[in-house]
Amino acid sequence: MTITGERNKIDSLIRSYTLMARMNRARPGARQSQTLYYQMLAEYYTRVRNAHEEGKLVAAHTVFFPTEILYAMDIVPLHTETTTWLIALFLREQTELLIKGAELGLAPEICSPHRGVAGIFGLNAIPRPDIILWSNLICDNTAKSGELIMELNHSPGFFLDNPFQGSAGEMNYLVDELKDMVHFLEEKSGRKMDWKKLSEIITRTDQEIELYREICELRKAIPSPMSILGYLELISADYLFPGQPEAIQYLTVLRDELKDMVKHGRGAVSPERFRLMTLFLPPLHLIGYLGTLFAELGAVSVVEPFFTRWSEGKLDPDRPLESVAKKSFLIPERRSMYGPLSQQALQDIADGAEQYKIDGAIYWAFMGCRHTCATIRVVKEVLSEIDVPMLTLDCDIMDPTVNSEEEIRNKLEQFFEMLEDR
Amino acid sequence: MKNTRLPTLERFREVNQTFPKTREILELKQKGKKVFGWLCTYVPEEIIHAAGALPIRITGYSQETELEDGNAYLYINNCSFSRSCLQMGLRGEYDYLDGVIAGSTCDGARRLFDLWRHYIKTPFHHILTVPRKCTERAQSLYYEQVSQLKLLLEEHLNTVITDEALFKSITVFNESRELLQKLYQLRRLDRPPITGAETMEVLNASFRMPKELFNQYLRQLLDELAISDVTHTSRARLMVTGSVMNNPEFLRSIEELGGLVVTDELCTSTRYWSDPVVLDGRSPLEAISRRYLSNFPCARMVPSDERFNRIMQLARDFRVDGVISQTIRYCVPYAHDLPLITAKLKEIGIPTLALDVEYGTSGSGQIRTRVQAFLEMLEARKK
Repeated sequence: MTITGERNKIDSLIRSYTLMARMNRARPGARQSQTLYYQMLAEYYTRVRNAHEEGKLVAAHTVFFPTEILYAMDIVPLHTETTTWLIALFLREQTELLIKGAELGLAPEICSPHRGVAGIFGLNAIPRPDIILWSNLICDNTAKSGELIMELNHSPGFFLDNPFQGSAGEMNYLVDELKDMVHFLEEKSGRKMDWKKLSEIITRTDQEIELYREICELRKAIPSPMSILGYLELISADYLFPGQPEAIQYLTVLRDELKDMVKHGRGAVSPERFRLMTLFLPPLHLIGYLGTLFAELGAVSVVEPFFTRWSEGKLDPDRPLESVAKKSFLIPERRSMYGPLSQQALQDIADGAEQYKIDGAIYWAFMGCRHTCATIRVVKEVLSEIDVPMLTLDCDIMDPTVNSEEEIRNKLEQFFEMLEDR
Repeated sequence: MKNTRLPTLERFREVNQTFPKTREILELKQKGKKVFGWLCTYVPEEIIHAAGALPIRITGYSQETELEDGNAYLYINNCSFSRSCLQMGLRGEYDYLDGVIAGSTCDGARRLFDLWRHYIKTPFHHILTVPRKCTERAQSLYYEQVSQLKLLLEEHLNTVITDEALFKSITVFNESRELLQKLYQLRRLDRPPITGAETMEVLNASFRMPKELFNQYLRQLLDELAISDVTHTSRARLMVTGSVMNNPEFLRSIEELGGLVVTDELCTSTRYWSDPVVLDGRSPLEAISRRYLSNFPCARMVPSDERFNRIMQLARDFRVDGVISQTIRYCVPYAHDLPLITAKLKEIGIPTLALDVEYGTSGSGQIRTRVQAFLEMLEARKK
């Protein structure tokens, strides 16, 4: 496979989002939040593209990395896994990345976004980042992907060791790790950390989390106002713009739109026939198809315990690094998906099912995500105890050779028929 | 086949053949001894031992087996080691355990522990946070974790783990490491008196029986080896690396083809015993904690340099002609390291054969064919 021009993928993404934002603006009845979402994505990759010309460093990082720190230091973040997802979702050019990952010697059991990340670097498909940052949150893949990328990219890197459980000692450890990281970034960028700016980011991150909670509350309405596409947009805001004005603006507009829909009794799909809990992520390259299919079948995802239910707790702008550390223990993905698997996490899934009045649950069993799939049985039992059926669908979130549209349709239709019979 | 040359090896075999329900363990249980299972080499056995309990390693089936329960509970995309262990737990093979202790070492181990705690009613469960780095700060955090484990064990067993008891345990476990070091020294010889498969039988027994008894047996075995006139030659001297593996039949199948496994980098072998606890003026608990975090690293640790350097040093010390890297499917840490370590070994002129395997595999079929081809290639290089 040939990539023409080293900036191919980034330029393609920018073109794609700019076009989508323009089309959305012109479309009657289009959500303003969705236009903002596309603008946000275009802006994100434009910053990556222009960083060097503007004298800024680009830091490529793995998922759930505390990029608040990068924003505070005016370093441009590049979210590696999200970039591979977006290439799959919007460009459908993931196959060449996966092939390159395989050529580099990565086994097919390694999750496809990480094989794709290696493929991106192996193909020089993006402008070369200056620094590689990675951590063990949220799996062995994130912990182990950094070294190969560093080697492929010929750049320095920093591994952030994020401890497993949240004891006081572990929180202190994480804060000290963050201090080391700040020191590393200062050394590499020649810029000092702007602590005032970081505090402001923390203040906004707290607002952002509150907006997430409000949005989740609104989704309890019958009919529920947010489509399956909306939930993927929602998580991208924090992944790409944590504590940034762009995320606050997007989430505020989204919340107001949802509030208005709830007030007027409008749902994301009409009529709403099936309220669903979504566990893990559906195949991202099929998301457009799934949006159409869900609308056709009257199905809506109302709650996603692994991605949208944040833990209770507030951040403290006067203690910015401690807040960055604390945030990594508040994110939904940590509590329900990463572990340790506690009774509380399981109870939260049961509570979510009841509070959101779901009819059924779909567990997208992404074969590359081992620690998530290990909970399929136990989650199924928890839901079964409250008489909620769960469909388990084997899938890959990026690899187009694993699932076909027809197969997904058949399985969903069968599941919905079963739900209807009940 | 009974080994008349090395009668003590037969004793180790007996232990392995009946494990987990070995006579020694069941007799100790009858006498009121507590038995704790541990799930990863980052769990400090000396503390369990010093608490008066018997530490044993939880392993899975020693041959390829249908893992219906393991698949149903852990799903098919967790490594077959985790699924195999969980299935044995679910089927009551470890029903005598008084506790299970794990480390947050990899996704498979974490989830195995999660589901063991959820479904299997072992009286005591604990998981240690194991840092991924081996810095001074990480050592402090791990010491905190190990101290907490000590407190929890004291509380659960209603006992006090004294420094004196810890010193004694360190002595016993260090002796074991020292004896295993002697055993491995013999494998450096041009014509080693023991095969890789036989060594693995010894190692399996090392974490399945009381250490004092194991040490006694191993001393006997070393005496027997000293007077044995049987030695082994081969088409190629090999090192085995990669995921957890403790099936001697896998090594035997390689050796039947004419290769001789002279060393390894496995958590059931070299990485289990290689580094002693060094007191160096530290408290026994701190010395134990330091040893377990800074021991020959698993692929989970970051950066990988220490693991890679040690592998290359072993390759040089044992004068290996080739490396067989076996990765259990869905063992992500080792899968990520494979391209990097393969390149490093190539730089020093050592070829690697990468095998995707399932835990418990005996090395038949296609594996055998690939090993055969690898040995032929190594022989051709020598000419």
